[in-house]
Amino acid sequence: MDGQEEAFKEEAYELLTELETSLLELEENPHDMEQIGRVFRAMHTIKGSGGMFGFDAIADFTHNVETVFDMVRGGELQVTKDLVNLTLSARDHIKTLLDGEGDKDLETQIIASLQALLPAADPKEETVPGGIGKDISKSAPDAPSPLLTYTIRFCPALDIFANGTNPITLLDELREMGECIVTPHTENLPLLDDMDPESCYIFWDILLTTDQGENAIRDVFIFVEDECDLSIECVDNDQGSNVDELNGDKLGEILVKRGDLSNETLGKALEEQNLLGEILVKEKAVSQASVCSALAEQAVVKKQIERRREAVHTTSIRVAAGKLDHLVDLVGELVTVQARLSQKASTVNDSDLVSIAEDVEMLVSGLRDNAMSMRMLQIGTTFSTFKRLVRDLSNDLGKQMELTTSGEETELDKTVIEKLKDPLVHIIRNSIDHGIEMPEARKAAGKEATGTVHLSAEHAGGNVLIRISDNGKGLDPAVIRAKAMEKGLIPPDVDFTDKEVNNLIFAPGFSTASQVSDLSGRGVGMDVVKRSIEELGGSVDLNSQKGDGTAITLKLPLTLAIIEGLLVTLGRGYYIFPLTSVEECVELPRDETGKKSGLLNIRGEMVPYIGLREEYGIEEERPELEHVVIMETNEKRVGFVVDSVVGSQQAVIKKMGNAFNNAPDISGATILGNGAVALIIDVNKILDLRF
Amino acid sequence: MTIEGITQTGQYLAFMLDQEVYALDIMQVREVLDYTEITKVPRMPNFMRGVINLRGGVVPVVDLRFKFGMPATEKSVNTCIIIMENTIDGETTLIGALADSVREVLDLEPDQIEPAPKLGTRLKTGFIKGMGKKNDEFIILLDIDRVFSADELSGVNSAEAHLDTEMEAVGETDAPLSS
Amino acid sequence: MTQTIMTVDDSASVRQMVNFTLKKAGYEVVEAVDGKDGLTKLAGAKINMIITDLNMPNMDGIEMIRNVRAMAQYKFIPIILLTTESQDDKKKEGKKAGATGWIIKPFKPEQLLGVVKKVLK
Repeated sequence: MDGQEEAFKEEAYELLTELETSLLELEENPHDMEQIGRVFRAMHTIKGSGGMFGFDAIADFTHNVETVFDMVRGGELQVTKDLVNLTLSARDHIKTLLDGEGDKDLETQIIASLQALLPAADPKEETVPGGIGKDISKSAPDAPSPLLTYTIRFCPALDIFANGTNPITLLDELREMGECIVTPHTENLPLLDDMDPESCYIFWDILLTTDQGENAIRDVFIFVEDECDLSIECVDNDQGSNVDELNGDKLGEILVKRGDLSNETLGKALEEQNLLGEILVKEKAVSQASVCSALAEQAVVKKQIERRREAVHTTSIRVAAGKLDHLVDLVGELVTVQARLSQKASTVNDSDLVSIAEDVEMLVSGLRDNAMSMRMLQIGTTFSTFKRLVRDLSNDLGKQMELTTSGEETELDKTVIEKLKDPLVHIIRNSIDHGIEMPEARKAAGKEATGTVHLSAEHAGGNVLIRISDNGKGLDPAVIRAKAMEKGLIPPDVDFTDKEVNNLIFAPGFSTASQVSDLSGRGVGMDVVKRSIEELGGSVDLNSQKGDGTAITLKLPLTLAIIEGLLVTLGRGYYIFPLTSVEECVELPRDETGKKSGLLNIRGEMVPYIGLREEYGIEEERPELEHVVIMETNEKRVGFVVDSVVGSQQAVIKKMGNAFNNAPDISGATILGNGAVALIIDVNKILDLRF
Repeated sequence: MTIEGITQTGQYLAFMLDQEVYALDIMQVREVLDYTEITKVPRMPNFMRGVINLRGGVVPVVDLRFKFGMPATEKSVNTCIIIMENTIDGETTLIGALADSVREVLDLEPDQIEPAPKLGTRLKTGFIKGMGKKNDEFIILLDIDRVFSADELSGVNSAEAHLDTEMEAVGETDAPLSS
Repeated sequence: MTQTIMTVDDSASVRQMVNFTLKKAGYEVVEAVDGKDGLTKLAGAKINMIITDLNMPNMDGIEMIRNVRAMAQYKFIPIILLTTESQDDKKKEGKKAGATGWIIKPFKPEQLLGVVKKVLK
């Protein structure tokens, strides 16, 4: 910003010179409107730009002169010799302010004299600089407000497009504020012949659940206040009594409240016993869109109330973590026993037993989901513990930085969260230590002096993505390459992409800090981080742009305890594939049998396959017909040849322990209903080993 | 007292491996099971026979005869699995070991135990805690934590077992099956 | 596709600040020193949005907006007016002439970006 401050000063000095000339001209011709306009604009610019570049004292002072000349311009004041003298001394004062000096007493004196010129009755109330600028600046509220649901009706004026307003951007802005359901109303659309394509005939009902308050919603529409009918109403006011009233408003009540429907029509419709919405639409009492929107409101409010009710309940009980762990262990065993019961029941010809087994199965699966959900914790608590870490570290290092977070409400299994903490600490330390530059270096690079480390969490399918990004200096592939060569991690003559080079920071025994500080680079490197994430069944992805910063994304499973799997056999052994990535199962053509790998034509697409018998060296007799399980992993399809496919199976994952470090493609084992052990195959690992 | 660390009467579980008597500190033995179907785990060295279901838990089973350079265990009515608690890399885990048969629980006084001989045994001296002597019979007391250290389990050192033994070299190759 | 924003201001420092802020956020920027200059530069160019000062020599912001709205190509583009707090009535005049919204001076780079994001799709 230094360059810009200089630019402002330069410009201001120029304007002051012009100002002097104009004022002297004015003294000769007090009615020269052009000169008056020039003086006003000069003051206006100095004030406006001064405020922007941090010259607040100048801006505040100049405001007084500008006000006076605004009135001169409007013909409310006359240019007098006194005014010219006063303005000249004001000009001189601005100049001394620009030079970095300035006499406070003189300033007060000039201001007093200027104000004396203004009509006494009009003290020109100092309007606080406000409006849109201010609203945006305070977009980060200090204290989180409660989540409330609002219903917003936004009817733009027909000619709203004429002002260059795109209503869609406003709706997008609302969507960013929280959970949002938008229902467009098209009933005002005229016939095509009558339609003016430059008019906006549509209006919207928006249901928004946000913690930002009604004013923030109004601010979205600040530019179009006068060009639309806007109603904002809180439909779920978070009063304690509402929590017990689970259903919220009925459909009819909502429509009446919004003025879409009169009470009489509602009464009439209710006399017929049918779905109210259908009746009303059929009778043309309200439009389909109105009903949809009202139904959406009903659903959202209901959900909101339920959610709050849940919150009320969860805060009311505390259980020791150990007890929960034990419960989950027991449920795991119970799932195994239940599977045995179901299997036994299917072989015994006893319908009573079958029915009991089915009931047990249902109960156990409910119990399992319940026990699992009890162990789910929000990651926010973990995130907030890092605030202190960042604060302390930045003080120690003399750096300026802040930690921002998002997705705190994302839930993860307690065990995963616990094991995640150390790797996260390590990554954050690394970001602060190696990523964020010293304030001077940042300024020199045209960045804000304060660096940012952002922590975010989100759900992606059955996984949770945790991202740690900083806007520091990023990784330098050249430095890493040199270091890796020096350490003998890569041969000197092979070309690697920058991304591959950057990933070397995860290689064992790698540390880039040329100066080992107190924080990171203490022997435990990023390789440990990577290993611990992989032990959790997760993966690590790194993206870094030299100069712009680094983002590390951790992909983690929601829970470590149970997976849905596809059970297959190979020789006398049982194996399980994670069901989420299974696409289909096909028969292996006879001429492909016995190959370690090959290609299969699946409806025109050539899909590579691996013969697991050959891969695992299984010697037992081969079945007549083999099957191929087609999996999709990393957006690629690949097949695995097995003896037979048994079916889907819920697998309680048992760790295999250190003894099996040599079998990286077996991620765990599970006990089947018949007591046999089935091995769980890690598809990605097997591909890593093969290709 | 002949061996550092052994100062009082200890109880040992004696078992047979290829006609020799071995013993384990009873404090490390959890239970003894009859032979049961073992699920083989791919890519593991031969002495890692696989895993079994122990009341809902998955427990690895090793064939000590492979480990000690003897011919593989042949299943018989006496074959059993000794479930031991041992510490690998600071973590307590259960491991099963195949034994030809289990004999008895012995009481051994400290003076009945001698240091491991440098020569004359088939296995690495590091695996031996000491030699017990009872009724003119020598009993090899195993240091099971060493036998099952992470390196040993992953098969890194298993082939060296023969090099340390002066007596014989069994033509057994159990180099790790890496791909 | 990169979007192009025109900044019209007689103050070089304001133009520079707007230019710097928008470029950093990935926009292309065209500078004009007053309304007249702006109109000349609009013709034949492909501009997605205009940010104009109110008080300028030759042609002020209001008149410029009126002229821009008369051009078929720019009938519906977002136009933001830079004003100061003492010109509340000017805001209304600007809206009447066809401005989409306004920013109150002085403003910070993030406020400018906030408004751009609000009106530019």
